[in-house]
Amino acid sequence: MAEIVEADNYEGIITRIEHKSRKIESLLKQYKPVEALKTALEGSPPKTKDERCKSANWIVVHRAIMAIKDVDSLFSALDPEYYDILMKYLYRGLSTGDRPTCDQCLRIHEKLTEKAGLGCILRCLADTLNTV
Amino acid sequence: MAATSVHKFAQCISCHAWSPDLSMIAFCPNNSEVHIYKLSEDKWEKVHVLQKHDQIVSGIDWSYRSNKIVTVSHDRNSYVWNQEATGWVPTLVILRLNRAALCVQWSPKENKFAVGSGAKTVCICYYEQENNWWVSKLIRKRHDSSVTSIAWHPNNVLLATTSTDGKCRVFSTFIKGVDAKDSAMGNSADTKFGEQIVQLDLCFCWAFGVRWSPSGNTLAYVGHNSMIYFVDEVGPSAAAQSVAIRDLPLRDVLFLSERMVVGVGFDCNPMVFVADESGLWSFLRFLDERKSASSSAKYGSQFSEAFGKFYGQSKFSASNNVEQSRGAHDNCINCILPLAKQRKSSVTRFTTSGLDGKIVTWDLQKQEDLLDYL
Repeated sequence: MAEIVEADNYEGIITRIEHKSRKIESLLKQYKPVEALKTALEGSPPKTKDERCKSANWIVVHRAIMAIKDVDSLFSALDPEYYDILMKYLYRGLSTGDRPTCDQCLRIHEKLTEKAGLGCILRCLADTLNTV
Repeated sequence: MAATSVHKFAQCISCHAWSPDLSMIAFCPNNSEVHIYKLSEDKWEKVHVLQKHDQIVSGIDWSYRSNKIVTVSHDRNSYVWNQEATGWVPTLVILRLNRAALCVQWSPKENKFAVGSGAKTVCICYYEQENNWWVSKLIRKRHDSSVTSIAWHPNNVLLATTSTDGKCRVFSTFIKGVDAKDSAMGNSADTKFGEQIVQLDLCFCWAFGVRWSPSGNTLAYVGHNSMIYFVDEVGPSAAAQSVAIRDLPLRDVLFLSERMVVGVGFDCNPMVFVADESGLWSFLRFLDERKSASSSAKYGSQFSEAFGKFYGQSKFSASNNVEQSRGAHDNCINCILPLAKQRKSSVTRFTTSGLDGKIVTWDLQKQEDLLDYL
């Protein structure tokens, strides 16, 4: 876990994120927002300390989070393995202070806390190494 | 109820320990004293107060066979107390620490004890007959942060530690002249004092509460990220499992048998973890009844309460008046000990103490679903 990749992998990570972004756009066009969110969360957070890569990945995840309309159906389709990483991105969303983003993140946060419990929040707050 | 007795001794208890015959209990009421209570005719009576430390006593251990109490404190000192006709007589043990001592435990043979400290070191103390003196040997430069918990392997040589740097480590504490080579140590007999056998790098935040299973085959420790880790075959080919917990993090763990672990912590309710036939660990249930049914409802109501405050609306406040049914503990539990007269391969009774000042005795005899795992 958490092997920090060298800085010259920056290009490779960005290419992968761009590829992911295109896939998400096409899934959103097919009205598959949950599939898009799963794609966005896969391979997240990028295994690097480079803030540029983290930001690029956040933009992609943010796009997928904002496309979620029905939060209940999201959790009937999302597997528990994604809960911890989704929680981390919700807190990143809340830290932006942007009104629509915060509204959306709070809506999902309520349901996610019901589903995954306080332990999920603790895992997100306590992890100082794999930050998103 | 699984809790057979609940007794509030103080405002807050930092740690406790039982006498070998289980008739007396020693605990620290979150100050520099250690109080010893004796049970006589169903009433607890204070029989001794051990006053020697200057600051909070952070660890107490009462040896099974030699009837000695060892205490460590934030004042960086340790005392070994011997019971004599006049009462308990302390012997100072110079630990050579520059930070607080945090935890202490007698080794299984009771010829050594280990102290974890805030000075990023572990002290192994042993008695030198010729000088009539307890000597402290330090394991230095291994931990990157405070040592929060220690656990002796049944072979009296291996010591597991957890630290706030997130690592769990296992060391050899072989001391020439104290440990005999021929004891059942297997490969660890060749290792020198202070040699690190393994470093487990599973947790990325503070780690607390480490314990070995009765046979010493499995190691369990907890992290502040609501995870519990189980490690089999500790060594170069260690097999680790991590179990994520739904609720608040744990502070301490106890093996009841090879296949059952109880964890206690910020959730105020002991959690039972069991291993199935294939050795896969999972969360089974809470021990105190109150929560098992209402846990999800409780989070729902807490959350709507918060939302009610956000919007200043009354429609969320319907659940505010519903009083939570109280369990045995109502604050963080930070200490769990087996209730047995000697080291055994399985225990059914144990006690917990915590920040609410209560000491609770638990008995699994009537918990039929759990007895299969003993």
